[in-house]
Amino acid sequence: MWRRVVSCSTSAQFQAVGSCRSSPSLNLTRRFLISSASTPSTPPPFQRSPNLSSPASGLKKVEDIMPIATGHEREELQAELQGRDILEVNHPVGPFGTKEAPAIVKSYYDRRIVGCPGVEGEDEHDVVWFWLEKGKPHECPVCSQYFKLEVVGPGGPPDGHH
Amino acid sequence: MIESQRHSYHLVDPSPWPISGSLGALATTVGGVMYMHPFQGGATLLSLGLIFILYTMFVWWRDVLRESTLEGHHTKAVQLGLRYGFIPFIVSEVMFLFAFFRASSHSSLAPTVEIGGIWPPKGIGVLDPREIPFLNTPILLSSGAAVTWAHHAILAGKEKRAVYALVATVSLALVFTGFQGMEYYQAPFTISDSIYGSTFFLATGFHGFHVIIGTLFLIICGIRQYLGHLTKEHHVGFEAAAWYWHFVDVVRLFPFVSIYWWGGI
Repeated sequence: MWRRVVSCSTSAQFQAVGSCRSSPSLNLTRRFLISSASTPSTPPPFQRSPNLSSPASGLKKVEDIMPIATGHEREELQAELQGRDILEVNHPVGPFGTKEAPAIVKSYYDRRIVGCPGVEGEDEHDVVWFWLEKGKPHECPVCSQYFKLEVVGPGGPPDGHH
Repeated sequence: MIESQRHSYHLVDPSPWPISGSLGALATTVGGVMYMHPFQGGATLLSLGLIFILYTMFVWWRDVLRESTLEGHHTKAVQLGLRYGFIPFIVSEVMFLFAFFRASSHSSLAPTVEIGGIWPPKGIGVLDPREIPFLNTPILLSSGAAVTWAHHAILAGKEKRAVYALVATVSLALVFTGFQGMEYYQAPFTISDSIYGSTFFLATGFHGFHVIIGTLFLIICGIRQYLGHLTKEHHVGFEAAAWYWHFVDVVRLFPFVSIYWWGGI
């Protein structure tokens, strides 16, 4: 399931991949997929979302919610409280990629698997998967969407770091 | 997550407990067969196997507690996966018990000529359902209410009350088990007494075994709650124990109605 981040107002705004299809004013924007898991926007069954609305006085700290949190759980909670998505690398957002303004896909390493589902609505096609490499922008063979990799991490080969 | 693993799942470290559990299971099964047939050493192997399995359970789940509460590996995604996984486990247990209740119905709905063509079979002195069974059923149901009380206490952050509620739940469960055991001891029929005895003791016996497992699970939850492991945001272990307990609770109603009550008429 993919999360859709729909910004308000004009059609020039970004739109990420989502599971729901309809979007009244933004039906011309395109989207692209990253081959990794992401969290759905509505909580699935059996998952309780913590009430993280900050009090009027200021930002809540992890200690207010769950003092004994540690490790990854703590990281996750902290990011949620700060309102940032800890795995935002996996949720790219943007308009249709062209040669002049390619769709930017972030990656920690020098190459990443990317899937292109085409244009939102009528022009979407079966997902085409490919390796996107640093310095080698890729064009989707079906809809010609243009992708470029942006390395935001240590770089190097993705399988050479264990 | 960002720097260290870049996903929110838990890839566990290598562990010896799966293989040790398997070896324990091997010893238990082989020892069990040896014990039930005329082979020497069966009883020893069986007991060794069972002890080994219990030891593996202890250390395996201790590792899970360490990884989750003490190391923080159980993110929201992991918690969800655990919940989603525990439900099919409970369903599998339901299937298991269903088989024994079906066996009981199979024999009781069309009693064969060997037992007199009637149910209960000729000569079986059935237990009066209005006595101990009728007491035990509400005891178990109250313990189900107590575990819900405990859950609400945990959600409200009332940690002491949650411990008391769990103590209440476990006490009721132990009383139930005690009464069942006493009934077993005083029953006028045994497991060897025709198909009635077999189905009765197997169905109620396995249910009782699951009650004991559930009680142990709840005791562990009580200890953890006392130690402060369970928070109102994160208490998957307790939820699993509570679900298991409700399953045990509901299952009790089936033998009560079909075996004790209807089966004794």
